[in-house]
Amino acid sequence: MLSIHNLIVDSSRDKLVRGISLELQAGGWLALAGESGSGKSLTAASIGGLLSKELKQSGIISWQGTDLADLSPSRKRQFLGKEISYIFQDYQGAFTPFMTIGKQLDEQLLTHTALNRTQRRVLSIEALVNVSLSGERVYGSYPSELSGGQLQRAAIASALILNPALMIADEPTTALDSLTAHKVLTYISKARARRDMSVLWITHDLRHVRRYADHVAIMLKGEIVEQGAVDQVLNAPAHSYTQQLIAAIPPLSPHVPRRLGLPEGVHET
Amino acid sequence: MRSTAALKQQSGKRRIKYTTLLLFVLVIMVIIMTPEITPQDANKLIIGNRLLGPSSEHLLGTDHLGRDLLSRMIAGVRTTVGTSLLILSISMVIGVTLGLLTGFLGGLYDRMFKRIVDAFMTLPDYIFAIVLSGLLGPGFLNLLFAVIAVKWVGYARLVRSTVLQEKEKDYIKLAELAGVPALRIVKKHLLPRVMGNVFVLAALDLGKIILIIASLSYLGLGPQPPTAEWGSMLNEGRVYFNTAPHLMLAPGIAIMITVLIANICGDRLRDKLDVRMKKGA
Repeated sequence: MLSIHNLIVDSSRDKLVRGISLELQAGGWLALAGESGSGKSLTAASIGGLLSKELKQSGIISWQGTDLADLSPSRKRQFLGKEISYIFQDYQGAFTPFMTIGKQLDEQLLTHTALNRTQRRVLSIEALVNVSLSGERVYGSYPSELSGGQLQRAAIASALILNPALMIADEPTTALDSLTAHKVLTYISKARARRDMSVLWITHDLRHVRRYADHVAIMLKGEIVEQGAVDQVLNAPAHSYTQQLIAAIPPLSPHVPRRLGLPEGVHET
Repeated sequence: MRSTAALKQQSGKRRIKYTTLLLFVLVIMVIIMTPEITPQDANKLIIGNRLLGPSSEHLLGTDHLGRDLLSRMIAGVRTTVGTSLLILSISMVIGVTLGLLTGFLGGLYDRMFKRIVDAFMTLPDYIFAIVLSGLLGPGFLNLLFAVIAVKWVGYARLVRSTVLQEKEKDYIKLAELAGVPALRIVKKHLLPRVMGNVFVLAALDLGKIILIIASLSYLGLGPQPPTAEWGSMLNEGRVYFNTAPHLMLAPGIAIMITVLIANICGDRLRDKLDVRMKKGA
């Protein structure tokens, strides 16, 4: 479905992503894990052409066999809006502050469907209800009137409303508490099962990876050092960096002794 | 417990706030209803009545051509303050439109625009307006053009910098990704965001523009006689200052009070709308 071949992202000073290749199957859930600055988010951004103008991108990103670079700008916009949707970490910034949530959902439907006003409203409220928000109320609310968890769920509703084939979630739960994070991931997971949607998920939390993803790729300094099925990578990590990442997961029970040392360069304080 | 002094100070502040607001509304009403409330024809010459002092027939007396001063003062509200408001709105429309478009589109347009704005910013407002209207010659339209040419830049710069900041945020990226047309993003997502700042700048600018217009008219570069305008009335009264000081005092005080009202209202609006100020308080 989604295939990335030899993607390179260049700033004027340094190579930030150094030729990575990825495959994401239809209905698959691929987690892209690694520490901050490893190039995960840049990879995600380059799929939608969201990189800032100072960065140069090369390599092939294709979707169902079509190279995205070959599409005309209008086709690409149509395609990106409908087939691929994004969720970002900063839920505060996901909605325009002075437009109601409903208006913003409506705008998406207006751009990509031929539905009339009533149909769009019904569909928007349904999308909100699907992520357990009180549809009518949230539809008429401004972003500032909602809590973080509610906003992130509304962002998911907005990302799912056009039935995308691929959802790119860039650390969607990093700013949320663990219970809310779990709920958010559950909604994505349900939507994926219902629509056979693929998910590319940027995260640094390997505990979540084990629970939700089926494939994982570990990134370090702009390169993928290891990728494969979640069970295989997390249970029998081949690369030393993956081993360090797994060792750095804090144990939940205080009685479990820390068997593996801290990763290199990290000191106990 | 707040001390009585603090309470007194606060009620005093509130009184100032409502008084200025009331006066501002009054000024606007005078602009709208000028023909209805002008007691006499502002341009009617009765040479026999020249330089009369205040009386029941002419509350503020008459000028050197025997025209009723109060009527000319009221007509002057429309020319001076009305023109300022007109200039302010046109500058806002030009500045906001250009700022939004170049900020959002970026690239070559933005770079060219930035150079132009920088060039304008190096010129001092007053002097540039005087030079420009001097070159164009006296007249209402030329005055309008000269002051707008000086004033639009501030709005364009403010809007452009806000847009540059906002367009990096996720909600704009998401709207772009969702395929929302650029013009719609600018209109629906960015315009409301910048308008708060623009109104604050405009309110603070109003006083300055009134002063510029009055100064240019004083120099004879504004509306031509017999149009009543506070700045040109000041100039006309200058010769008679010893015998009929009210000819200069009336427009002088009127300009002072209006500019004061405009500035206080501007300050209030900034306190209300500017988030940075609120945080500091």
